[in-house]
Amino acid sequence: MTDVANDDIGGSGYSLEQLSDYLDRGRTPAIEEIDGNAECQAILGSLERYGSLSRDLVSRDAAEHPEIDENWFSSLLSTITREVKAGRDIPLASADPRTSISITEGAIRGLVRAAGDSIDGVIVGRCTLTDAALGENTPSAITVDVSISVLLGSSVRAAAEAVRQSVYGALLKHTELQIDSVNVTVSDVHVIPIDGDAR
Amino acid sequence: MTDLTALSDALLAERSADGDEFAFATLVRRHGPYLRAFATRLTGSAADADDVVQDALITAWAQLSTLAEPGKVRSWLTSIVSRKATDRIRARKPSSELDEQRAEIAERGPEHRAIEASQLDALSSVLSALPDGQRQCWLLKEVAGYSYEEIAERLDTTIAVVRGRLARARATVVTEMEVWR
Repeated sequence: MTDVANDDIGGSGYSLEQLSDYLDRGRTPAIEEIDGNAECQAILGSLERYGSLSRDLVSRDAAEHPEIDENWFSSLLSTITREVKAGRDIPLASADPRTSISITEGAIRGLVRAAGDSIDGVIVGRCTLTDAALGENTPSAITVDVSISVLLGSSVRAAAEAVRQSVYGALLKHTELQIDSVNVTVSDVHVIPIDGDAR
Repeated sequence: MTDLTALSDALLAERSADGDEFAFATLVRRHGPYLRAFATRLTGSAADADDVVQDALITAWAQLSTLAEPGKVRSWLTSIVSRKATDRIRARKPSSELDEQRAEIAERGPEHRAIEASQLDALSSVLSALPDGQRQCWLLKEVAGYSYEEIAERLDTTIAVVRGRLARARATVVTEMEVWR
């Protein structure tokens, strides 16, 4: 058995603590006495393996207890739902000069997501809004960039075009924003999950 | 409601950052068990783990827009869980001498490991028998990917202490796991 309490592992002149440090430094700068020593290499290999096994262990713990306590879950969700991410206010044109009307970025994103998700086989990812006159109290044209995931096997081009039209239509209908452009990027494909879990 | 479970971690994280709580809820269902398992190992208490993970997820929700690599959302969440768990560990303030005593009691011979059903079972009991301070250092290093400096800061101690604890933990793990090589 390896004597790990030894300050001179395998006659290398290095202790386990020093080997640990060496491993955590990414084995650089290279130390000849360690790299050329079979016993040191075996210990370094073990340390790496047990590190990686520790992550596997946590994954296994999780697999053995996959259930989520529903009370815990709903208490979490009610907390985060209170912290709405409204984002910036974007001014809308108003017929009456005495009133100003604005819409939050959060509300626009919600509309964009719903419009994109309504297309078969499409799930929206990120939605970025760019407003040239942001911060000024005048309405300006906004650019909408949407990333989407498309169901594997469906036409990427057709899906992207359908999303573009749906988002454009929804924004025209529900807001009075001037829309400069709606750009759709397909950044992922997905399959229909069998057991509700996809990575 | 669109079923979001098919979506990748990256897109779910981006969507969550945009304020979609359904996407965030999907991430929580997907990674909650892992985060809870990690927090349980780190704090040594399932009840603490539930509180720690809940705190961590509330913080994560508020800070999602700072996540640089949405595809690595689980690592990022693990790191936040580590912060919240170590806050709790520090608040508990047990004396480290008590830890060392407990370790003596928990000490069992390597032959005991041979009867464990698998290598993972063996590692599980070796890690559980480590003194709390050593086990925390090991988990923060190997599972959360923290540096010595970060561990020292989180555990309110010095880098030298972290280095020593990690070396002792590693010596124990290597010795006790040798029967499985």
